[in-house]
Amino acid sequence: MAPDTQSDTGATERFEDVEWDELGGLGFPRRTQALVVATVAYAAAVAYDLFVTDDAVLSGTNWLFVLTLLVGAFFVAWPLAENRRLTAYYWRRFKRNRAAVVSAAYLVVVFVVGTLGPLVLTEPELNILAAYQPPVYLSVDSAVPTTCVGQTADGLCHGTWQYPLGTTSDGKGIAKLVVFGMRVSMQVGLVTMLIVVSIGTAVGTSAAYFSGLVDELLMRYVDIQQTFPTFFLFLIVTYLFKPSLFLLITIFGFLGWGGIARLVRSEALQRREESYIRAAENAGASDGWIIRRHLMPNVSNTVITAATLLIPSFILFEATFAFLGLTDPATPSWGQVIASGRGDLDGAWWIATIPGVFLFFTVLAFNFVGDALRDALDPRSEGDA
Amino acid sequence: MSMHWYVARRVAWAVVATYLILTITFGLLAVAPGDGQTAFAFEAATEGGDVDEARETFDEITGRDEPLLTRYTNYMVNMATLNWGWSFTRNQSVMDALAAAYPYSLMYAVPATFISIVFGYAIGLYSATHQYTLTDYLGTFTAFFGISVPNFWFGIMLILVFAVDLGWLPSYYQTGRGVWTLANAKQLVLPVVVLSTGAIAGNMRYSRAEALEYVHADFVKTARAKGADDWRVLVRHIFRPALVPLMTILVADILGLLFAGAYITEVVFQIPGLGLLSYKAIIQQDTALVMATTLVPVFIAIVGNLVQDIAYTVLDPRIDYGDR
Repeated sequence: MAPDTQSDTGATERFEDVEWDELGGLGFPRRTQALVVATVAYAAAVAYDLFVTDDAVLSGTNWLFVLTLLVGAFFVAWPLAENRRLTAYYWRRFKRNRAAVVSAAYLVVVFVVGTLGPLVLTEPELNILAAYQPPVYLSVDSAVPTTCVGQTADGLCHGTWQYPLGTTSDGKGIAKLVVFGMRVSMQVGLVTMLIVVSIGTAVGTSAAYFSGLVDELLMRYVDIQQTFPTFFLFLIVTYLFKPSLFLLITIFGFLGWGGIARLVRSEALQRREESYIRAAENAGASDGWIIRRHLMPNVSNTVITAATLLIPSFILFEATFAFLGLTDPATPSWGQVIASGRGDLDGAWWIATIPGVFLFFTVLAFNFVGDALRDALDPRSEGDA
Repeated sequence: MSMHWYVARRVAWAVVATYLILTITFGLLAVAPGDGQTAFAFEAATEGGDVDEARETFDEITGRDEPLLTRYTNYMVNMATLNWGWSFTRNQSVMDALAAAYPYSLMYAVPATFISIVFGYAIGLYSATHQYTLTDYLGTFTAFFGISVPNFWFGIMLILVFAVDLGWLPSYYQTGRGVWTLANAKQLVLPVVVLSTGAIAGNMRYSRAEALEYVHADFVKTARAKGADDWRVLVRHIFRPALVPLMTILVADILGLLFAGAYITEVVFQIPGLGLLSYKAIIQQDTALVMATTLVPVFIAIVGNLVQDIAYTVLDPRIDYGDR
């Protein structure tokens, strides 16, 4: 970066004269230091939760979610903030797709509300007296709710701001349920994606880099894993064991990375033949170094795109299983609310409709963003769709 | 590698995969805490029987008191000889239950598959050859809608609009209306629409992307230069090479989509097919039936993948058999 400035000050400066401390020192960069601190703090907190206290501070799913946020901060947000020019370049390309920008904004709202909302709000409560309240500004025949919280006029029960999106058949506010559902959807989507991407990338790059027997063994295993449809595997497992969000994330995370591994492998096979890898090999870099510093960063664009497109499928799976009643009934989730409103389509149409709208738009937004990311991050996809 | 050798190896692999899956399922069954014994005992207790006796009977029927290896051998032999056990909630053999259920699944899955292939490919090819037109954008939008809309919610919304509000179609499936009758056709409309929407979107995206690779290919330009009309170019020069990779996607993805989607569709519309059978078995803790109804789609997926790979070698003479 500095050949110009050096030639300005004269080419007499020698290696041993460089003031390394002024240039930031020989120590680790700040990001690495912060990463080490964060990792240690996280591990200590988890250990404390596991071994010291009896009452859990956070559930397993929540711990995984915190981990996902940490990884996201260190490996996505921080590098983007450091490389301003690259970020601006990606943003310019991403911005071209207006639907994706709107989608991204919507997802940020869902993410923030879903992460912070459940910390502030109390869990939605059962309240038989407030059952079947219509959403605000809407009204329903006053025969539908047993008692109307809002005003009754001309035989119509009007919605109130107390329950902006109405209530379910047991009087839980749908607005609150939607917020709690955001958390579940975000957790399932992001945590599962992190597991899938970590394992898939590690396996894919290793298979491509080591080739031979390692490749054969890993990819044969992927073949087996891909044969078993995860949907039905999860059905069997929930049937045999107690279903929970944690189980769902684990099953889909640890058995769903086959596709990513194949994708990364084929991408890394092409990268492996590039001259910079050969150069690193000749310079004596170790296998681990080459994989971490040269192979992985160069397949990361493919991975990020594929990961974004995986998130909606995990969200849909969770919603589907919640709808079927095959997840933990204590976790309020969109699918569950939709299921509870299924029997009341005649009178209370909003119970099944509203959470579904949020679910649909969340999935749609992830698909839009993933599509735009593919266009923005992949330099080879210039021009065509 | 010759093609015969490849096919033989591929078939052997399917057998190995089946064997592995059965073994894994057996392992899960062996370590699982709740595998229907409690439900069976409960059933006996409600009918006035003795609980402990019922537990013993259950162990005897399922052979749980025998050593693990014997159980494993029995399990495998039973699986191979299609002796898949007894459904105690339905009081019939699992095979009979499956045989009674699958026609209902076919009734809506076959039309849905057909529709999704025809419409998906047609729209996809049209989009590819008419890129950046209004129709193309409309098609892309439809695809996004199709892959994003949750099947079960879409089904409920269709019921809300077409059954509850408009009253045009029945809101759930009723048996005993014949097969080739108008009443049956009417109650199958919504399930077919729900199931094919997602599949159309998938097919459309793939076929558009595949066709785009050939739209600007040299041989297509040559064909145009020689005066071939649009239809001929589309069918003979774009669709034919695109068909090979589409085959690959078709079997595996459609099977997966249809099976997972069909499960939900049957529960939403109460169609007494394989999906609803499986769902009820899970709710009622009927282990033999749960296993059978979840393994059937898995086996179909294995066979589907096999057929697809073999079809690929037959269709594409350029294929390298050493490659995965």
